[in-house]
Amino acid sequence: MSKPTERDRPDDTTEEGERRVADSEQSPMEWDEPENNRKPSDERENLTTDVEKDDARKIVTGEAQYTADYSRQFPDLAHGTVVRSDVAHGIVTDINTSKAESMDGVYAVVTPWDDAVPNTLYSSSGQSYPEPSPWDMRVLRRHVRFVGDPVAAVAAETGEIADRAARAIEVEYEERDAVFDVERAMEPDAPRLFEDDEVENAQSGAEYERNLESHFEGEIGDVEQAFERDDVHVHETELDTPYQSHCVPEPHTTIAYTDEDDRYTFITATQVPNHTRRQLAHVFDVPIRDIRVDKPRVGAGFGAKQEMAIEPIAFALHLEVDRPVKLEMTRQEEFYALRSRHPMDMTMRSAVTEDGTIVAMDLYARSNAGAYGTHGMTVATNVGTKALPLYPRVPNIRFEGDVVHTNLPMGAAMRGYGAPQGHFAVEAHMDEVARDLGIDPIEFKRQNAIRKGDLDDVSTILKDDDRFARRIRSCGLEECIERGMDAIGWDDVEQPEEDNLHRGVGMAMCAQGSGVAGKELGAAKLMMNEDGSFHLHVGGVDTGTGNDTMFSQVAAEVLGCRPDDIVVKSSDTDITPFDYGSYASSTTYISGTAVKKAAEDAKDRLLYWGSKLLEEPEANLETGNGEVYSEETDASVDLEEIGYEATYGHDEREQIMGDGHHSTDESPPPFGAQFVDVTVDEETGEFELNKLVYAADCGVAINPPLAEGQVEGGQHMSLEYATSGGLEFDDEGNPQTTGFRQYGMPRTTDHPPMETILVETHEPTGPFGAKSIGELPTNGIPPALSNAISDAVGVRMTSLPITATDVKAAIERREA
Amino acid sequence: MHIECTINGNERSFEVSKSDLLLDVLRQNGYTGAKRGCDTGACGMCTVQIDGEPTMSCITPVVKADGATIETVEGLGTQDDLHPVQQAFVDNSALQCGFCIPGMIMRSKALLEENPSPSEAEVREALSDNLCRCTGYKKIVEAVLEASERMGEQTVAADGGYSCRCEDTGLEVDSRGETDR
Repeated sequence: MSKPTERDRPDDTTEEGERRVADSEQSPMEWDEPENNRKPSDERENLTTDVEKDDARKIVTGEAQYTADYSRQFPDLAHGTVVRSDVAHGIVTDINTSKAESMDGVYAVVTPWDDAVPNTLYSSSGQSYPEPSPWDMRVLRRHVRFVGDPVAAVAAETGEIADRAARAIEVEYEERDAVFDVERAMEPDAPRLFEDDEVENAQSGAEYERNLESHFEGEIGDVEQAFERDDVHVHETELDTPYQSHCVPEPHTTIAYTDEDDRYTFITATQVPNHTRRQLAHVFDVPIRDIRVDKPRVGAGFGAKQEMAIEPIAFALHLEVDRPVKLEMTRQEEFYALRSRHPMDMTMRSAVTEDGTIVAMDLYARSNAGAYGTHGMTVATNVGTKALPLYPRVPNIRFEGDVVHTNLPMGAAMRGYGAPQGHFAVEAHMDEVARDLGIDPIEFKRQNAIRKGDLDDVSTILKDDDRFARRIRSCGLEECIERGMDAIGWDDVEQPEEDNLHRGVGMAMCAQGSGVAGKELGAAKLMMNEDGSFHLHVGGVDTGTGNDTMFSQVAAEVLGCRPDDIVVKSSDTDITPFDYGSYASSTTYISGTAVKKAAEDAKDRLLYWGSKLLEEPEANLETGNGEVYSEETDASVDLEEIGYEATYGHDEREQIMGDGHHSTDESPPPFGAQFVDVTVDEETGEFELNKLVYAADCGVAINPPLAEGQVEGGQHMSLEYATSGGLEFDDEGNPQTTGFRQYGMPRTTDHPPMETILVETHEPTGPFGAKSIGELPTNGIPPALSNAISDAVGVRMTSLPITATDVKAAIERREA
Repeated sequence: MHIECTINGNERSFEVSKSDLLLDVLRQNGYTGAKRGCDTGACGMCTVQIDGEPTMSCITPVVKADGATIETVEGLGTQDDLHPVQQAFVDNSALQCGFCIPGMIMRSKALLEENPSPSEAEVREALSDNLCRCTGYKKIVEAVLEASERMGEQTVAADGGYSCRCEDTGLEVDSRGETDR
């Protein structure tokens, strides 16, 4: 296979390509990058090194404290349990709590009719204000819409008593017809989940009489006309994807109490402390200032904890019993009553000329939102806006979606946020198109793929203006593909000796964003201690990925000290500055930049004091090695001396501080290439993954081992999505998957060998050249595996998870 | 009822009821290292050692601990003086959110006590009851293999000269390079 050259690629100056490379005043290629942002690798003291994760020793010794571990600090703690609907659709007519209330050790039972339980409509999605999700749920529900909807809650002396009391509560329902199928749900005579007065803040395209939470569409060029051209092949693929559970290691847990300063305080496992604070204030009609959300160590989020899923119930119980309340979900609740990845069905069409020029792409996605609309529209829009931009030279592109309610658990944010579904559709379809045309799939993709300098307006396909069209200022996709091909042995696939076994290799390109363009804010504050150390207060949330460590590295690089010299306190709304939270791959890019700016602000003061002490102009001075030093005379003063002088000096005193905040219309995509090597048994349909390779361009990797960990963990989740996950329900909407034993989460023995390749580029808009890495690697295995199976045995798998039975059926269809 | 046991070398006695589970009793008494992940023995986050055996404490009646020797992650090493397994997890960045890690470490320690030089396949088999959502297991497996190697070297020093077991660890040449980074 020959390496492509610039010459082989479609000419950018053709009429069709022109629009995509046109200069845009809003998105010029040039970026006014801060001088200190671009450092060659040998000059980075604290970046791109494997600085030990700041809580690693606490974690391995068991000293790391998660929310539930704080229980012992509250001797009078009440334990909460939620009573959940066991019917899929109905109106609660009566709740008999008398037996439960008379039990020893029961402090209180709350129902939707209690004063402590507000009847306010809200969205549980932890998004910016006003939430781009409908306000369609209440703390406890009189109108239940799925098996698992909370209808009452108990607080008791122990968890066991609370559970026993919950079982003694009798709930009566007036049952209603339920609907579990998205197609059926959209029919005019289908059971209706929401009446008009049951939703506020409805989203565009909502038609609740058809159970439509949202409809959207956008087009670039003229797709229909392109499909009618007589020189194109039209290809169509229908695909569908299932529910996927976050499987957060630490179940959702919160402790609600009122502290000695009369402040409503929540120790809570959340990715979005500031959004949670605002939403609690809204639901309970109390001032924002009276609520404090303190995020301790979090046992991972993956989007599940971008939800205010349980805090309101804990708050209601706390108000009722007037003592601290802990609410901790069971694993069963995590599976059936909380949040999941939205199931979707998609149709992907394209029009391609004989020589492999794509003239049109058309993607339709229908999302099953389940019973409520949290993140419904926004996840569905990301199906198209993350994967389609991989092909920026396609002149005609359309993307359309419907978000539909059914009486099943609600979908919500989950790592990848619609992009895994979209990549499955686009990257499996494009592979098939190439094979149909007799073109090598990798050659086909790399010829059409996005590259540095492109203007990505496809990501704005649903927006009215091109303000957020992304100029691609860094792109290592080509190198990702090349190095991934080498690592997987693309050119050298040996076939097994057995006639029934066939080996194949598949590739999928991947992209994501870095934060939400125009909709983020991160802030940070640094304070210097007299011994030369610093306290960094930052709103950005570390859910286990290592962001606190990354923050300390970024600050240390600016201040010229060691990461160890920086004490990071993150995410306590009483102490730390505002941050939108840890989601949308924003933390390194947005919050990390805020930290960098705060450090630069503090550095200015270091230089001022250095100048005083060294009696040299500030312009000569620089920080490094724990010192302020002169580049002219080599004279230096260490940070400790500056700290003491600034704090206790004779004529002038200050605490050296730095403030930083960051918001931007930019959201540069990280890029990646996922490779899968598979052997398929043609007789049984069974297949074995021989190896996974992921090559990722996240700009400058601030801490490579932590970045690799993101890639490996993302592939784990993607592997599950491709081969083993999914939730099952019976005919009445009762969950059949309520534990790890039923759910197919890959174990150590299920993982094929994995190789991670970090491809370094430099993103001028990111802190020290960094982009994001958290979500990108969840996007690749479903399409790459589908492509590998097609390579091996010539059948196209379009449903997830891909099972041996389905592969066998596809092979039989092929032979018939 | 009253039970007595040894936890991390200390004799402890507890008033419990028969139906109490070991995990709850441990956590209520300050041993919060073991985590509550599923309550059904399906995720391994509550793994401790009872008389040397790795055990899911969330499905173990506390009465089974009566008279037993229990080891939890708190008994292994301190932040300044880590047990080799703990040290290997730190050095290999084999942790993210950390919620599964105490269980992983207790399982790994039990494995290495029984089989000081496991192959990669043996490590994967031994850890297959312990779920991790963050890491993709790769660095965890590498950490256990490295701990095996280091503990082998320690044994060499203490015993005065057995040959290093490096060849037996099943670590591939490529992955060893990454482990050493």
